[in-house]
Amino acid sequence: MLDFLQTLSDGVLFGATYALIGIGFTLVFGVMHKLNLSYGAASVGGAYCGLMIVKALLGTTPAWLVFLGALLGGGVLGWIVYVLCFHFIPLSNPLAPLMSTMGMLLLIDEVIVHLTAGMPQNYPAVFDDVMLRFGEFTLRGDLLVVFAVAVLCMIGLLALLYRTRLGLATRAVAQHAVAAELCGIRVARVNATTFVVTGLLGGIAGALIGASVGALSPLLTTPLTVKGLIVTVIGGLGSIPGAIVAGLLVGGFENVFQQFRGVTERDMYVMLLLFAFLVFRPGGLFPAKS
Amino acid sequence: MKKIAIALAVALAAGGAYAQEKTVKIAGFGAKSGVVRSFGINSEAALIAAADVINKQGGVKLADGSKAKIAVEFYDDRCTAEEGISIIRRIYGTDAVVAVGPTCSNVAEPLYGILQKKVDDKGDSGLQMPVFTDVAIKVGLARISEWAFRNVPNETTMYSSLFYWLKTKYPGVQSVYGGVEEDFAHSRASWYAVMKDRAEANGYKVIGNSKWLLNDTNFSTQVREMKNANADIVAISAHPFTTCGVLKEMQRQGVKPKVLVGLTSSSSLETLQGCAKQAEGIIIPTSFAPVTKEGKAAAETTAKFKGAADLHSMAAWENMFILKQVMEAERISGDKNQLQADRRKIRDGLAKLKETQGLLGVTRRTADREADKPYLFVQARGGNWVVLHNPL
Repeated sequence: MLDFLQTLSDGVLFGATYALIGIGFTLVFGVMHKLNLSYGAASVGGAYCGLMIVKALLGTTPAWLVFLGALLGGGVLGWIVYVLCFHFIPLSNPLAPLMSTMGMLLLIDEVIVHLTAGMPQNYPAVFDDVMLRFGEFTLRGDLLVVFAVAVLCMIGLLALLYRTRLGLATRAVAQHAVAAELCGIRVARVNATTFVVTGLLGGIAGALIGASVGALSPLLTTPLTVKGLIVTVIGGLGSIPGAIVAGLLVGGFENVFQQFRGVTERDMYVMLLLFAFLVFRPGGLFPAKS
Repeated sequence: MKKIAIALAVALAAGGAYAQEKTVKIAGFGAKSGVVRSFGINSEAALIAAADVINKQGGVKLADGSKAKIAVEFYDDRCTAEEGISIIRRIYGTDAVVAVGPTCSNVAEPLYGILQKKVDDKGDSGLQMPVFTDVAIKVGLARISEWAFRNVPNETTMYSSLFYWLKTKYPGVQSVYGGVEEDFAHSRASWYAVMKDRAEANGYKVIGNSKWLLNDTNFSTQVREMKNANADIVAISAHPFTTCGVLKEMQRQGVKPKVLVGLTSSSSLETLQGCAKQAEGIIIPTSFAPVTKEGKAAAETTAKFKGAADLHSMAAWENMFILKQVMEAERISGDKNQLQADRRKIRDGLAKLKETQGLLGVTRRTADREADKPYLFVQARGGNWVVLHNPL
């Protein structure tokens, strides 16, 4: 029983990393009703930016500076993704941004591979040595930090959306872009800002994922993209609290199935969970209000 | 007027000499994109560096007594089977006399499959192209085709020797627990067909194994299984990214086996770059370390071409010198009209080899076109790989 609880809690805590990625996916979808498939790669790219720039400038990698670099790198990448994949692309064709962001995913991935020769890069950890112990039961300190940051990001984003003029404009664009424009809101600027905000968030996510894994590798981008999308769908497209709950759910679910059915079957059950949601609850855990 | 005539004569003579300079093309291929890009970069650098050394010494002597320079053309197979097969077909269509590659075993296996199985089999329309592999290491692949040759270490011999040595070095150590990257051809084969088998053959009790996938990032469950098993030796058959992930999780959960053993391919810079601190003490058998004069020189020359010397890239270096020896012994013509005959001569020459000179010493060639290379055991210490023991 203890083993099961430990497996479940490990998975749920690791699911916080999926939640962070899911929040970014869901925010862009909530505002623009478009999927940004390059979000996971851009998040990892932001983390790489922070690490490589700080390493090149200082020769060492103090965690807080690397994280700050990741935050800024993520923001810049978010803006670049917006300009290249959305701003000049005909958004009326739903396939266009989907394909452009898919291309961007591959591009970011390959740029990382070329800059690092695909070698894993050691990433500074935070609270890596902290392990909360309750007898045999343990909780990883660094993953608790990831979880706390995910919750803080959710609170911050909700505050931004519901307590600021930018949030008001963002919600207006999300509801009806043409009507918002007629009211004097500069839709392109709101969209660009949304991408920068999600990019900043992605930078944080990439940094925390790098810290919790202990290394950065291009191998991270595809699983994070897949898990981020699953979390977004299960949580409910456009729902920020939904992304967090779904992230934790998926993390716990995959760890439990890994324990009982083995690693080679694990992802199959996660996909079955996704299909179950698509069939029986297509709106996800927190469906958008019509 | 006289000056112009002299200048013209000199120019014509130089042009003639240039036109007469022959080249023999050797095609290299491997992964230069994707997460194993470093393997391809290092192989390419080693091939070009070795060719440069040979060319500076005059090149390759051809059948007519003239000398030809070696030209290397390197292709990126992206570590995917379909790309690898497409590339070998493309190489076959060029004037390359031999191909050196690939990086990945999942490419080598199907690629060997499209080569002619048996030489002179008229009913087999497979490609008649000699392939001399430097990196793909999964056991026993060269027997797929008589056109396939490998200069990769024999993992069965190396791990047999390692576990035998551990038995004498750590007499109290009795049990082994494995960790395996289940979805990667080499890692999987190395655990199930080599490490596990060799540990048992040397009297160890293998008490289980944990599995993970190449892309995994969370290893808590696997390491807990490892912890519960409480084995004396933990043997990790995985590539650097997940090896580092597992080592970091082992540190978190306080798993400290008496001996830590790693996969041959992880005795590289990647592991130290990813987790030098956590990898401290890990023991890995390898077929290269810069311990001989030749090895040091090869590493330095490869570095000038922006490549790192490891067991894989130095096999590519060795391959180039072996091929020079074979091309000269078999008296290839270097004539593009005789391309297929030259390819056949190289194949036959490679098949005849009983031993070759490697950077660590003499490599014995086996009847199934594999290599029995000299090896040693290295250990991660203070962020470097240091030679722990030379069993030969």
